Amino acid sequence: MKYIATFYSHYGAIRFKKLCDAKGYTARIMPVPRDLSSSCGTCVQWDGSPVLTSEIQTDEVEQMAEITEKGYCTYYMAEN
Amino acid sequence: MTKNKEKLTIIIAGCIIGVISSLLVFFGNPANMGFCIACFLRDIAGGVGLHRAAAVQYIRPEIIGLVLGSFAVALAKKEFSAKGGSSPITRFMLGFFVMIGCLMFLGCPFRMILRMAGGDLNALFGLAGFVAGILAGVFFLNKGYSLKRTYKLPSSDGVMLPVIMGSLLVLLAIAPAFIFFTEADGGPGAKHAAIAISLAAGLIVGAIAQRTRLCMVGGIRDMVLFRESKLLLGFIAVFAGALVCNLILTAATAGTYFNLGMAGQPVAHTDGLWNFLGMFLTGFGCILLGGCPLRQLVLSGEGNADSAITVLGLIVGAAFCHNFGLASSAEGPTENGKIAVIIGIVFVTVIACMNTFKKEK
Repeated sequence: MKYIATFYSHYGAIRFKKLCDAKGYTARIMPVPRDLSSSCGTCVQWDGSPVLTSEIQTDEVEQMAEITEKGYCTYYMAEN
Repeated sequence: MTKNKEKLTIIIAGCIIGVISSLLVFFGNPANMGFCIACFLRDIAGGVGLHRAAAVQYIRPEIIGLVLGSFAVALAKKEFSAKGGSSPITRFMLGFFVMIGCLMFLGCPFRMILRMAGGDLNALFGLAGFVAGILAGVFFLNKGYSLKRTYKLPSSDGVMLPVIMGSLLVLLAIAPAFIFFTEADGGPGAKHAAIAISLAAGLIVGAIAQRTRLCMVGGIRDMVLFRESKLLLGFIAVFAGALVCNLILTAATAGTYFNLGMAGQPVAHTDGLWNFLGMFLTGFGCILLGGCPLRQLVLSGEGNADSAITVLGLIVGAAFCHNFGLASSAEGPTENGKIAVIIGIVFVTVIACMNTFKKEK
């Protein structure tokens, strides 16, 4: 399964990728796809399993979504 | 959308923006200044009396159109979202100093491209400084730089800058006595296309920039960070579109829209060091802000109050530039301007350090 996460800062993405690497997921940092957001920040796309909310820095991660054939299926969105 | 289709889209968009920019000069804007976010915000600052440099006072409809074009498309595509609260005063000050860098060079990154497309080789020094500034900013991004997260805000915060822009359009249309306009032949402020043409150009470019996320710093930043060329292709396409249109206009009309060289370029000076340093400050500051001045206007239209604060910082910076003799002229940079740029580089470096290294954990 493929997943994607967006962040409030570039460094949030770097830290998240390290988390993915530590979990053995194949992850890469890239610009946020236009069809996911109009923001021009950094995202991380990874293969593996969903990263749990309890594992992330919640002040850095904006959203996490599964990439499906029908599009992005968001399973975490930061509050406010 | 596939990656190749996205690239083709942004190339076409960039070409359209380049052609529109060139045509604005044909319709009356100053040479090599179809668009210049810095110059036009400076003109607006003068128009509402924040500075009294008589040569550069006009409410530029292009700026109004950029914000309202982005606003309209964001609403139509359900992408309008009021948000902000990410270090607003820091962003204001970064915008302030980015403007000082721009007015040292005499142009924002957008105009830097248009100056190159008009044959102004001085802009190459600006480009070198701009790239160096972006690299400095990317260094801090990779070390942990962040201005902290944004938060959702009431819609009234998000629509504030579009409403201000709408109000400026009303002031331009009715031209009350308390609004300042450069007198005919009184300087760059007197050179402008008809209001309807300028507004339409701004609306079109604002809409295109919202859809494509076109950003003058984003292209080089993404190339360095991700080896992703998409935004950079847009940057190059603006240059190509404007260059081809300038060459056609030069061949087909009595005017000169392309003049290769360094001396005697319109609204430009030949001091390479300060062209470099001005755009170094601009590139560095824009990376810390997350986008170039054009991008800040477009994001403001999408409801981003942090970008709106940045735009206000740019406007106040422009007013200071002309109230305190910081802005360059065709004669070259001023001593005050040189000191301000050095202070700006120090300030931006301190901001970068304070928001990078203190929170390493």
